[in-house]
Amino acid sequence: MSNELTILQMASGLAQHSGARLSLISQNIANADTPGYVARDLPDFGATWAQGQGVQLTASRAGHFGSTPGQASTRATESATFGTMSPNGNNVAIEDQMMRAAAIRQDHELALGVWSKSLDMLRTAIGKRG
Amino acid sequence: MTDLIASMAASASGMAAQSARMRLVGENIANADTPGYRRKLVAFESLASGTVEAGRVTLDQSQPVRQYDPSHPMADTSGYYDGSNVNLVLEIADAREAQRGYEANLRLFDQARQMSSAALTLLRR
Repeated sequence: MSNELTILQMASGLAQHSGARLSLISQNIANADTPGYVARDLPDFGATWAQGQGVQLTASRAGHFGSTPGQASTRATESATFGTMSPNGNNVAIEDQMMRAAAIRQDHELALGVWSKSLDMLRTAIGKRG
Repeated sequence: MTDLIASMAASASGMAAQSARMRLVGENIANADTPGYRRKLVAFESLASGTVEAGRVTLDQSQPVRQYDPSHPMADTSGYYDGSNVNLVLEIADAREAQRGYEANLRLFDQARQMSSAALTLLRR
């Protein structure tokens, strides 16, 4: 039973993580022509989950609610992109961001799929059909 | 869910900024033959909320192209007058870049919408 709940926690963590990442990728794309803008991204879900806390609130400033120092891996970091930096200091590569967005969509679908299948299994276990 | 909403807000601001840029390209091309016209430029600015906006419009201070037409009312004694400094090739390139940026924003907006509606269908079961 507790295994199932861990799965549910993990699935909702992954869904939240992909939502948070998509928000950063959208900001990167929106700022693809802003001079001096540096692309940002979150680290892998695996890295954040391995720390044993799932996903935390993204704090853009130190004083924000839920931001605790020392949990650096759940905070947005500048992401290395392929391609070169443009003359105005912007390093957003749209192709790279599109790849990240596709990976995020896959993660999100995976999370929702695992979530609904796990709930189906729980339902079956307590004797309800479908 | 709030992340997805923030994502849509960022994409929407990106689309608005790109359309503002596209509008300036249109104004520049429309005024390519206006004597003394200086092409308008805009630089995007990143806001604290992660959204973007088109900043102040500046004028390109490069030299206008001298046109030879002695019958023109603005021509000087040598027969030349100051045309605009609009370079059509540059404007087309700018328009293409704005279009590409707009489409990228639109795709991400659509993805955020699809992801949030997928999450909402879980509630409907």
